[in-house]
Amino acid sequence: MIKFITCAFFIVFNLKAQSNLPDVTLANLEGKKISLAKDFSEQDKLYVLSFWATWCTPCINELDEINDLQNDWKKEVNFEVLAISIDDSRTQKRVKPLTSGKEWDFTILLDSNQDLKRALSIVNIPYTIVVKNNKIVHVQNGYVPGNELELLKKLKLLI
Amino acid sequence: MKKVVCFIPFLLFYLLSFSQTNAVFSGGFESNAQWYLNDKGLKDEFNNPTAHPDEPIRSNNYLYLNYKYKNWSFGIQGESYEQNALLNMNPEYNGTNVATYFIQYKTEKIDITAGYFYEQFGSGLLLRSWEDRALGINNALRGGRLIFKPLKFITLKSVYGQQRTGYDVADSQIYGQDIEFELKELFKFQTSDLTLGFSYVGRDEKVDLSDQKFNNLTNAFAGRINFTHNSFYASTEMNYKSKDAVVQVNNQVNNRLVKPGSALLINTGYSKKGFGIDATFRRLENMSFFSERGAKGNNFNDKIMNFIPSLTKQQHYNLANIYVYQAQPSVFLADQDLVKAGEIGGQIDIFYDVKKGTALGGKNGMKIAFNASNWNALSGTFYIFNPQDYDTDFFGFGKRYYTDFSVEITKKWNNKWQSAFSYINQYYNKKMVEGTDGVIHTNILAAEATYKFTATKSLRLVGEHMWADYDKKNWACSTAEFNANSKYSIYVTDLYNYGNDLEYQRNHYYNFGGAFRKKTTRIALSYGRQRGGLVCVGGVCRNVPESSGVSLSLNTSF
Repeated sequence: MIKFITCAFFIVFNLKAQSNLPDVTLANLEGKKISLAKDFSEQDKLYVLSFWATWCTPCINELDEINDLQNDWKKEVNFEVLAISIDDSRTQKRVKPLTSGKEWDFTILLDSNQDLKRALSIVNIPYTIVVKNNKIVHVQNGYVPGNELELLKKLKLLI
Repeated sequence: MKKVVCFIPFLLFYLLSFSQTNAVFSGGFESNAQWYLNDKGLKDEFNNPTAHPDEPIRSNNYLYLNYKYKNWSFGIQGESYEQNALLNMNPEYNGTNVATYFIQYKTEKIDITAGYFYEQFGSGLLLRSWEDRALGINNALRGGRLIFKPLKFITLKSVYGQQRTGYDVADSQIYGQDIEFELKELFKFQTSDLTLGFSYVGRDEKVDLSDQKFNNLTNAFAGRINFTHNSFYASTEMNYKSKDAVVQVNNQVNNRLVKPGSALLINTGYSKKGFGIDATFRRLENMSFFSERGAKGNNFNDKIMNFIPSLTKQQHYNLANIYVYQAQPSVFLADQDLVKAGEIGGQIDIFYDVKKGTALGGKNGMKIAFNASNWNALSGTFYIFNPQDYDTDFFGFGKRYYTDFSVEITKKWNNKWQSAFSYINQYYNKKMVEGTDGVIHTNILAAEATYKFTATKSLRLVGEHMWADYDKKNWACSTAEFNANSKYSIYVTDLYNYGNDLEYQRNHYYNFGGAFRKKTTRIALSYGRQRGGLVCVGGVCRNVPESSGVSLSLNTSF
């Protein structure tokens, strides 16, 4: 056990962190398959990937806040929000009416069997990453009210 | 072995990541540890205090490493359960070892994986392999998978493998084929979308019974269609599983009852800006599917091949998670009052956004969510003895398992205040769902408010109450959560079963703890009591015993 943990830490701190976005294909709400690496690769544009689920209240609060503010932010920063639902087939059918009901103006993608979540070793949601030129340039793990404003500040620094 | 766990991946990844320029290394580490303590104040139904298990310090640890070079990926996951796995986890999870590994080659047209992989066909009613660490589920397949896109609108998947159980694999072979057509691409639809899919899943498990009345190979087929036109959408999925031994008690595989299984899932909805409605119907008959027949009825979600979640709203309030419906795909013929061959029912969801600037919506708008669900057993003719058999009606509703409806209203008052209010009503037939006794009616009220002091400093208060007329009866619960800033949070919560008929069982289940998070790392420490019962994630549940103690969880990715 001790060895296992020591070993884990040794590996973690001796290697350079990953910064590339894994090339995973996800479906959108219409069932069309979207390649993350190919379809979201506009030069220098910031892509905010926010992992959420219909049963995750802080995730929904975060996306509600971003939705209210994004049009103002877009005047200053070229960015797009991808709201990636990790709902499995129990709750996935709720994604479309919920996002319409809330009038979310995001690109909604479905990580049905959590391939992308696993590839990024995400344990808890909410979890938000910012991607620029296919590289992960910022991670926000969790959400407390007000985090959305810190995210905006960060976006301004990253352009 | 421990040395191997450490050094093979280390050497491999270390050397490779420095020898290649455009190679990418990534991974993650997660540890959930618990120190179980004796608790004289926490009594069970027989008035015994809670005692810690023989090995009081336990932990589940996972280290995942991934290395990518051009079109190639290599991955490995080591797991360590020391001194043992957390309480009521699959006993097969024991010690430290390499758990999964894979090598993958991927281009736009082709994707080949050898080793352990995760896969889901359609909604997963025939095949889903996935990982859920909180539930102790990892039913990855070990073998090979080929995903091939011969044309832009066709995706073909072929899988073969043996299913993971503990650090080993199950004693059977699994075969799978899936094809999906995205017809929008083919017909150049402008405002519509149409996808079609077909699957085959085979499970070959040798059973040595004299005069065996079923084949070792069970074949299962499914067809699905998904249609969207502007704001309207509909989908359906049909599944059929060939005749097979019906296992009613764990490890009892015999010729007594040999039946096919089927599932029908229909979903439709309409959504536009500010409004969404969604309705689902599902009928299941004899649809439990395990990589080893005898595994049916095990308590650890071990060797499950398909994913049959309960289609009810996943509530986030504590008290709404005491009586949780669990899907009923299985056959169980106990006596005339307790016969099950599956389930039939549905649920409906409505989401509505009250516009800003209206009388009800105020300055910041208001969000309303409504959900209702109802699930019954299948009706039909059931023969308990000589010989055991049944004949179900296709659209017949038998005894009721579960009903609930709930309303949730969220309102942001201004930049400082936000509040939410929920009402939930449940009917839970414990006898039919769990095979024990009684029917419980509940009414649950929950209210919460969040106040923001400064940019990221906030306080959240939650109050909940449940009125229940049977079993453990009434409960009250309160929670306070303080976010000092975006790095530190602390919370305290207490569930109080004040209405219990047994005085010594009027337990407080208190918990307090804190969390720290920075970049990709999160560390949480807490002390308190765990309520015994079901812990459910995504409609799949694990039974946990009452316990008391300190827990530490740590996770990071890199």
